[in-house]
Amino acid sequence: MPTPLVRFANIGKVYGDNVALHGVNFDLYAGEFIALVGMSGGGKSTILRLMAQLESPTSGTITYAEPGLVTRVMFQNDRLLPWMTTLENISFKSHDAAQQAKAQHALDAVGLHDFAQTYPNQLSGGQKQRLALARAMMADPQLLLLDEPLGALDALTRRNMQDFITQICAESHLTTLLITHDVDEAARMADRVIVVKAGTNVYEAAGAKGKSAEDVARVADEVLSVILAPEDRPTVNEEG
Amino acid sequence: MDNATSIAASAGRPTRISWQGLLPWLLPVGLIIVWQVAVGLGWVDSKLIPSPLAVVQDGITLWQSGELPKNISISLFRATAGFALGGSLGFVLGMANGLSKTMRALFDTSIQMLRNIPHLSLIPLVIILLGIGESAKISLVTIGVMFPVYINTYHGITSIDPELLEMGKAYGLSKRALLSKIIFPGALPTILVGIRYALGVMWTTLIVAETISSNSGIGYMATNAQEFMNMDTVLLCIVIYALLGKLSDLIAKALESVCLAWQQERSAA
Repeated sequence: MPTPLVRFANIGKVYGDNVALHGVNFDLYAGEFIALVGMSGGGKSTILRLMAQLESPTSGTITYAEPGLVTRVMFQNDRLLPWMTTLENISFKSHDAAQQAKAQHALDAVGLHDFAQTYPNQLSGGQKQRLALARAMMADPQLLLLDEPLGALDALTRRNMQDFITQICAESHLTTLLITHDVDEAARMADRVIVVKAGTNVYEAAGAKGKSAEDVARVADEVLSVILAPEDRPTVNEEG
Repeated sequence: MDNATSIAASAGRPTRISWQGLLPWLLPVGLIIVWQVAVGLGWVDSKLIPSPLAVVQDGITLWQSGELPKNISISLFRATAGFALGGSLGFVLGMANGLSKTMRALFDTSIQMLRNIPHLSLIPLVIILLGIGESAKISLVTIGVMFPVYINTYHGITSIDPELLEMGKAYGLSKRALLSKIIFPGALPTILVGIRYALGVMWTTLIVAETISSNSGIGYMATNAQEFMNMDTVLLCIVIYALLGKLSDLIAKALESVCLAWQQERSAA
C-alpha cells in the first residue's frame, strides 16, 4: 500500500459547544480524486479547511507525505479580485516574466486566452470558475481542494465544468478533494466517494468516474441512501 | 428595411451624444443669460447685483493689475498644503488603525471624539495659538481634510471582504502582498470617496479662514470688496470659488477614472 499524501487520523474539531467533527479517519493518495458528500452542516467544509491548513484540528493528527505540500483551494464563490484583469488574477500582478508566461499558459489551458485583459465582472459564471481553476493550477499544486465550486452554476455549465475539471485533474495527475452536495456530481467525477454525516465519515463507495450513466446513477443512489438514513450527532461532552 | 432602420439609428446617435454633452452647461449658461438680461433691462439694481459682463470686466482688470493671480495663487497654496498635510495624516492614521488592533485601541476613540468637534469652531483657538499667518489657515484646512480621509480610509480597510483575505492567505501571499494586492485596492473606492468629500471641505474651510483672518487670498479679496461695497469683486470671488470647486471635482473624477478603471469596465459591460 503506498504512503498516503494526506492522512486524517481520528480528527476532531470543536467550535465552542458545537462538535463540527469527531473521529474522522481517511487517507488521500497521490493522483486520487475523492469526493466528500453529505448534508449541509455535516462537516465537509471543515475537513477541507483543515486539509488546507486554514484551521487546526482540536484533536487527532493530520499527516502530510511531505512538509510544505503545495495546496490550492477553489472556493464555492470564485473569490476573484475585481480590480485585476483575468491574467493579473492568476499571476497576482507578478512582474516576473516567467510567472506572466505561466499565467498566460494557465489562461490558455482553461480556454480564456481571449479574455486576458478582461475584468472578472465581464465574465460569465462558468468563465469565472474556469479562471478560479486556472488560478489554483498556476502554482502546480500537489493537492487541489474544491469547495463546492460549481454550486452557483446553471445545469448545463455545471455539467461542462464537471467534465472540464475531471479532465484537467486527470491530465495533471492531480490529487483532488471535492466537496459537494450533489451525489451525481460526486459519483461522476470521483474515484472514491466518502459520505460525511454528523461530523464524521460514515461510508465510502467507489466512484464511477469515466463509467456509464447507469453506473453513476447506481453509485449516486447508494450514497444518497446513506446520507438520508437517520443520524446520531454527539454532544461536546461525549466528545470530551 | 432593416438596413434603412440601421442607418437611421446610427445617423441619429452623434446628435444625441452632442446634446448629452451640452446638457450640463444648459442651466449655468441659461442663468447667466437671464442674469445679464435682468440687469440690462433694469429689473435688478446693478449696484447690488452687477451684470455678468461687469463681473468679467472686473476680473480682467484685477488680473491685469496682478491682484487676482496673486490672491488665487496664495489660496491655491494654502488649499494644496492643507490638503496634502491633512490627507496624508488621515490616510496614515486610517491605514494604521484599520490594519492594527493595537493602533485602533490606542487612537480610534480619541479621533472619534475630536472628529465630532466642528473644525470651524476651532478658528478662535487657532488664531490665538498661531495668529493669522499661513500656519493658522493651513492648520484649519489640515484639520478639516484629515477626518473625512481618515474615516473613509479606516472604513475601507476594515470593510475588506474577509473571504478575499482568506483566499490571499490560502494562496501564500505575504503580508505585504496582501496589503498591496488585496487590502489597498479593495479599500481604494472608499478612500477616493473620502478624498472627494475632503476636497469640498478644503475649500469651505479655506474660504471661512480667509474671510475671518487674512490679508491675502480669495476670501480676503471678497471681504475687502464687501467693505467697499464693490459687488463686482464680491461676485467675481464667488464665481472663482465655483470654478475652483468644479476643478477639484474634475481632478477627483479623473483620479477615480484612473484608479477605478475596473468599475467603469463593469458599468460598460
